[in-house]
Amino acid sequence: MTNSVPEFEDADCILITGSNTTSSHPLIASRIMKAKEKGAKIIVVDPRKMHIASLADIYVAQNLGSDVAWINGLMRIILQEGWENASFIKERTEGFEELKKAVAEYTPEKVEEITGIPKETLKEIAKIYATSEKSSIVYCMGITQHATGTDNVKSLANLAMLTGQIGRPSTGVNPLRGQNNVQGSTDLAAIPNVYPGYQPVTDDAIREKFEKAWGVPLSPDPGLTVVEMINAVEEGKLKGLFVLGENPLVSDPDSNHVEKALDAIDFLVVQDIFMTETARKADVVLPGASFAEKDGTYTGTDRRLQKIRKAVEPPDEAKADWDVLCRVGKAVGGKGFEFASPEEVFREIAEVMPIYHGITYDRIEKEIIHWPCRSEDDPGSPYLHKDGFAKGKGHFTPIGYKPPVELPDKEYPYQLTTGRLPFHYHTGTMTRVSPSLTHEVNEAFIEVHPTNAFEIGVKNSQVVRLTSRRGSVNAKVIITNDVKKGVVFMPFHFAEAAANRLTIAALDPIAKIPEYKVCAVNIEKIEESEA
Amino acid sequence: MEKFKKYIKELFESGEIEGFLGIRKNGLHPVPHLFTPEHPEELETLTIPDVRYPMTEILLTIVRKYPDKKLGIMVRGCDERALNELVKNQKILPELIKHIGIACSADLAASCRCAQPYPEEIHYGEKVAPVEDRSDIEAIDTMPQEERFDYWMSEFSKCIKCYGCRNICSMCFCDQCTLEDNDLIATGQAPPAIPIFHLIRAFHMAGRCIDCGLCEEACPAHIPLRTLYRKVRESMSGFLGYVSGTEGGEKDPLEFLGSEGYMVPSKIDEK
Repeated sequence: MTNSVPEFEDADCILITGSNTTSSHPLIASRIMKAKEKGAKIIVVDPRKMHIASLADIYVAQNLGSDVAWINGLMRIILQEGWENASFIKERTEGFEELKKAVAEYTPEKVEEITGIPKETLKEIAKIYATSEKSSIVYCMGITQHATGTDNVKSLANLAMLTGQIGRPSTGVNPLRGQNNVQGSTDLAAIPNVYPGYQPVTDDAIREKFEKAWGVPLSPDPGLTVVEMINAVEEGKLKGLFVLGENPLVSDPDSNHVEKALDAIDFLVVQDIFMTETARKADVVLPGASFAEKDGTYTGTDRRLQKIRKAVEPPDEAKADWDVLCRVGKAVGGKGFEFASPEEVFREIAEVMPIYHGITYDRIEKEIIHWPCRSEDDPGSPYLHKDGFAKGKGHFTPIGYKPPVELPDKEYPYQLTTGRLPFHYHTGTMTRVSPSLTHEVNEAFIEVHPTNAFEIGVKNSQVVRLTSRRGSVNAKVIITNDVKKGVVFMPFHFAEAAANRLTIAALDPIAKIPEYKVCAVNIEKIEESEA
Repeated sequence: MEKFKKYIKELFESGEIEGFLGIRKNGLHPVPHLFTPEHPEELETLTIPDVRYPMTEILLTIVRKYPDKKLGIMVRGCDERALNELVKNQKILPELIKHIGIACSADLAASCRCAQPYPEEIHYGEKVAPVEDRSDIEAIDTMPQEERFDYWMSEFSKCIKCYGCRNICSMCFCDQCTLEDNDLIATGQAPPAIPIFHLIRAFHMAGRCIDCGLCEEACPAHIPLRTLYRKVRESMSGFLGYVSGTEGGEKDPLEFLGSEGYMVPSKIDEK
């Protein structure tokens, strides 16, 4: 996030898109509700009418995967009405003329045709977002989990820069990260193209710095992303996989393909706090300690570091992740794993990561610190880009709309989109072992528009078969107006009827994120005798 | 504070209590803790911060596990009201629970709008004046009926069904919870059925709620739950003359319904 979580309360306009905020980020939703009570306008653009949509001042459903088009449409209206922030554009950005040219063709009529958003609504959104004193954008997986995910994010960045709604408190472009420490794991380079602190592996000087710090020679080439690893197994290029706190068999797209790869792999290690579907396939399962059973830090979605403190001992042989990794490191003869505590690990992190350089355990006991925090007297950065962007000027990227990779056709006439429920988290590793949460929901279902339910000939709670080009699953039907005609929604928490057996592994060319949010499916009624 | 620690130590040594539910400092973080005579050194970390925890709710968990132990518990005015109600409902035995009283600071009393910010016997702190504030109830009572209805419907629509209000409440001591009854409130939906989810809870708070306000502090959706339950509390004292949280005397008059009064009648159950 460019801005910190408490800042939402003071925003005048919050534009939420592709985020089921009350379900997936309830505490952020609570700040948004506070802003609303103070008079902020809440705008929700989402294909599905979720809880936060019912609390919004303006809610509109766009067609699946049409985000670049409506964001370009907003920018065209803003420019036409003169609602852009001319001084911000002049002083802080570059590439404005190219952007202007690129959005020119996105007339309200054309945008309505692509996105299904009425032109009057688009104009109202443009006006409120551009002319409010402090407007903030909130987005989540609905924006990123597309083959055009990077385009979608860059479009939102264009919008924020065009209106100068960035670089000030309660503004900005704010992706909500899922797990409590997913920001921390990204900061620490659980991505294949950078070293900790977003320092590129391809940069010679940086590589030398890490070679010196760790006392080993390092590769100048980026590694593989998750879906690429699975493909590499299939191609015989990857022989072993060490999976930590992830359940790719259920969470990756095209599960049948993943299952084949995991069955074929030579050596699989899974480290988790509970037994998962992926762990059942592993040669070695290492029990990890949960949040309450270890000391350390978490870095939240707004780049704030917080200390966690052990409340209870881990059960049986379970150990903290850092401890397991150090033991494995030492066992294979690695150097530099002689840490006695998480604090010692943290000291090395602060040493090699300029954005964490000024942070110590002692400081975060007493202070609220958001990175970048570059020295001991740096108070940290609740919001980014105050005086400049990382590369100096903010660069407008002209972007054209591209349709989803797989569109509905005769054989697969419906569009499937996936997401989460308030009562479960991701593949259910942690939540499906909770009696109170499974009491709420414990089976897969699909949401279907009444017209389509009539077409298929099903009633509420009847079971149907969903089929895509990649697989097939059965699920109960819930008939609702919360989804558009032609669209079906399915939560992906339930391994026994996994939505990801249907999803497509089409990847964004830059971020390599899969297109979980759109694919084509067919729906068939299951006769009583079959069900 | 040293005197207070010494007092607890003496209670341990004399055998008057076999455990003390208080708060310890974990780094800079105050957390509830069960101090025991086996580890008197832990009393060094004992602290009395200006924040509240659902101490009586935690006590219930401990009592379920150790029903015969003599326990001390750090009580503020609100905690004591909760303990009085738990005794009347036979959830704890008064002879086994020793109240160790804390008077709240003026700041805490003000932020809690507390009508009785101290227990009967005070072992720590100075008594401050009660805060009489009905402004929240008055603001809603003066709304036209239609507006008032819309107000509550809109507040209830924010609910994310986290059960935070119930889980933090020491008066929610039933073994089975009506809020989890699938026949009355469909599972798997957030917001939960409007308004019945919140009305059931409000009805159950009648004759029970001791007005500690922890439910409203816990609510991530900022629903003004305390205002609702304060109104119910007032109605109970106005119509039936019952003020929950007072020591001794009769049980909540609505208890004549018996424990089954809150359950779904079997006829409906069978359908």
